[in-house]
Amino acid sequence: MTVATLPIERPAGRLRQLVASGIGPILAVVLAIIVGGVVVLVSGSNPITAYQQMLVGAVGSPFDISETFISSIPLILAAYAVSFAFRCGLFNIGAEGQLYMGAIASTWLATTFPNWPGIVLIIVCIVAAMVAGGAWAGIAGWLKAKTGAHEVITTMMLSYVAIDISHWLLEAGPMTPSNAYGTPESGPIPPQAAFPIILPSWILPNARLNASLFLTILAGVVFAWILWRTPLGYEIRAVGFNPKAAAYGGINVARRLVIAMVIAGAFAGLAGMVPVWVQMRLYDSFSPGYGYEAIAVALVGRNSAIGIFLAGLLYGAMIHGAVAMQANANISGFLVQILQALVLFFVGAEMLIRWLLRRGGLRALVEAPA
Amino acid sequence: MTAVAPGDTSLPAGVATPHLEMRGITKSFGTLLANDHVNLDVRDREIHAVVGENGAGKTTLMNILYGLIHPDEGEILIDGNPVRIRGPRDAIAAGIGMVHQHFQLVPVMSVAENVVLGQEPGGIRLDRAAAVRQVRDLSERFGLIVDPSARVETLPVGIQQRVELLKILYRGSRLLVFDEPTAVLTPQETDELFEILRGLVGGGKTVILITHKLNEVMAISERVTVLRQGRNAGVLATAHTSPPEIARAMVGREVLLRVERDEAHLGDERLRLEGVRADSDRGLQALAGIDLAVRSGEIVGIAGVSGNGQLELAEAIAGLRPITAGHIYLQGTDVGTQPAAARRANGLAYIPEDRHARGLVLPFEVKDNLILGSQSRPPFAVRGQRNSAAVDQRAEALVRQFDIRPPNPDAPASSLSGGNQQKVVVARELAEDPRVMVAAEPTRGLDVGATEFIHRELIQKRDEGLAILLISSELDEIFSLSDTIAVIYQGRIVEAMPSATADRERIGLLMAGGAAETALPTATQIAEAAAALGSSDVAGGSPHGEGVA
Repeated sequence: MTVATLPIERPAGRLRQLVASGIGPILAVVLAIIVGGVVVLVSGSNPITAYQQMLVGAVGSPFDISETFISSIPLILAAYAVSFAFRCGLFNIGAEGQLYMGAIASTWLATTFPNWPGIVLIIVCIVAAMVAGGAWAGIAGWLKAKTGAHEVITTMMLSYVAIDISHWLLEAGPMTPSNAYGTPESGPIPPQAAFPIILPSWILPNARLNASLFLTILAGVVFAWILWRTPLGYEIRAVGFNPKAAAYGGINVARRLVIAMVIAGAFAGLAGMVPVWVQMRLYDSFSPGYGYEAIAVALVGRNSAIGIFLAGLLYGAMIHGAVAMQANANISGFLVQILQALVLFFVGAEMLIRWLLRRGGLRALVEAPA
Repeated sequence: MTAVAPGDTSLPAGVATPHLEMRGITKSFGTLLANDHVNLDVRDREIHAVVGENGAGKTTLMNILYGLIHPDEGEILIDGNPVRIRGPRDAIAAGIGMVHQHFQLVPVMSVAENVVLGQEPGGIRLDRAAAVRQVRDLSERFGLIVDPSARVETLPVGIQQRVELLKILYRGSRLLVFDEPTAVLTPQETDELFEILRGLVGGGKTVILITHKLNEVMAISERVTVLRQGRNAGVLATAHTSPPEIARAMVGREVLLRVERDEAHLGDERLRLEGVRADSDRGLQALAGIDLAVRSGEIVGIAGVSGNGQLELAEAIAGLRPITAGHIYLQGTDVGTQPAAARRANGLAYIPEDRHARGLVLPFEVKDNLILGSQSRPPFAVRGQRNSAAVDQRAEALVRQFDIRPPNPDAPASSLSGGNQQKVVVARELAEDPRVMVAAEPTRGLDVGATEFIHRELIQKRDEGLAILLISSELDEIFSLSDTIAVIYQGRIVEAMPSATADRERIGLLMAGGAAETALPTATQIAEAAAALGSSDVAGGSPHGEGVA
């Protein structure tokens, strides 16, 4: 070859890429706060007070910080379930059901074998939660691979099945303890199987934040590791972007679809176990819709491990902060739902954000190289 | 209109004002200067070709002419009068019409309805009869034979293109712009299109033809404007130029249009197909018993009008399409039922005909695309983990060896030009030191520079002993690369012959379904075959089974 070759370029653009991918969601949050403030103003209250109370309520004290984390963790884990499937091109709308299955399986084990040593029991429960969530999601994956049944339908329908199984089990079924006074709930999780509390009692006597935080961080690491550091993750992403090219590359697309769903469901299963291990009991309808809000968290977090962690914390802070805002500023907690919706709206309205950035002279950040 | 615009120096005295003049057109996208003071003048009733490599600025220039893009600088004159074109509406008003590469038709509507869309005859109620009548008049006047009441989706591609053309004629356009019109056409349809173009010019129209196929430039145009990297690289009179000269202007250096090829040194048989049958995506039989053999050091070219089973043949060999009968032997092993990965491991490489749909994961980085197919094998995967160092190492080596630009292995494949994307595919497929390669349309949509590069690469590998099955709808490519030419028609190899003794006419006839062994086909047979040629998606099935009832 007589063609002169150019030197290999490796622009040190990783950091800039990271900033560029984060700037959209951050701007979306800012816009949501502004528009939300207008909503508060219109409804006759002071937005500054509202946000101040929300902020104080979310992170104003060690207790509130601990509670904010508790609100965030199931969202983060469930969002990993949504995102992992999405990386394989699957819309896992049914993290809610997978999360219920995880909660049921782990609770059943913990209440059935209350005398096992704590360390054994908790590990067995973690595994059981992941297996149950994974299997539940795996059904949808298998149906997709075998018959082409769309996962949006199947995961959604399987969610109803899982939730109703939990109603049956807890309201008059095998998991209702004999001494229950009509309250639909499971027996207690044996105390030796609890996650250790993170904050020492001299900082905060009644802190509930436990080691599931580390489990969540670990889950994020595993999420990213599988996707970016293993051939399996490569294949899952290849299937997600272009199944025809993946098949061409010798990848068994059907098998990858099932595996991706199973791994996704395992994250959701964990998400279901953690709240049970905070309340130390499985209550009927224990999830306020973690699995559904997780879809928003996954979107705002741009399907990345770190992004989802941060987005989950934000959503958790809004949820917990709303309690104080409602009590102290006398503003309806629905503002929080409006805010969450606005954040999502502005993340979705990416074109709008890009246009605003261009207006603001930040052209370099938004324009892809030609 | 004989008024000469003041300051017009681009033409010698005595020549009439050009019909269209674009002066000093400049347009930048970010840092990329797509058009840098480009000039174009097109005479009245001329067929004027605009050529250039991918990314030379042809499409930008035409989009500016049609008002889809606004230039940073420059002016447009029609018959010497400056015009302002703010959008396609202005362009149409100025008598400019464009036949896009991707048709802008409503498939479920009839020809007449498509043609009059936007300017329907009748009041509130569409006067269908009037529309049909007007369209029939128009098509008869310009010799464009189309049934005005046929539904567009049932028509072959070549006929759909006529509908596009009728649309702009209906709007009274005088200047007709064709963007790569032959990319979707069979050789016969191309000839017919050229006939139509000549007729249009005879009828007072002016034609701009955007292309990168030099033989078309030579066949049809009177003058050719060459663009290179966004700038003018010359205006040549076709009668006084040659393909090498145009190619040199396009690329900026000498280009070998025909790769030099030594005598083939044939070795052992590497690929053998016996009675292979397979179905198309629609479930129709696409391969009706293919027998074929490729030896080491040989390039076997499959010539045929696209849609005669080529795609299915390639995919059947690659393991991406189940075969319903027959055997596929890869280096002596029957791999007919093995999955794609196993065949790859057994030395098979495949350049798919559609790099976007099959060959690349576009959002992936170049380096990730360069290991597709090898991702879970050492050295790229070690103990279930990705070996990033090995991935980087391969990427850098291949980027350098194949001169992939930009030379950045971390760039997403989607950001590369078509030619460089194809280089990524070819580089990857050759990297595993394959024994057999299926190369389907390896240079589709590529400019002369990239085509030359890939042709040389294939010839070199063939000289090193690779067995190559080349599938191409470009007869020129088949002739310039193949040692053996096999003609495929309706899922069968109708004849195979050494390329040295192959006759172009005869191959064209065979491609059109002219019977091989029997006497020469009758005129009606040829006409029927020509009609069937168009229905390119009726893969292997009866040519009359679908389409117009």
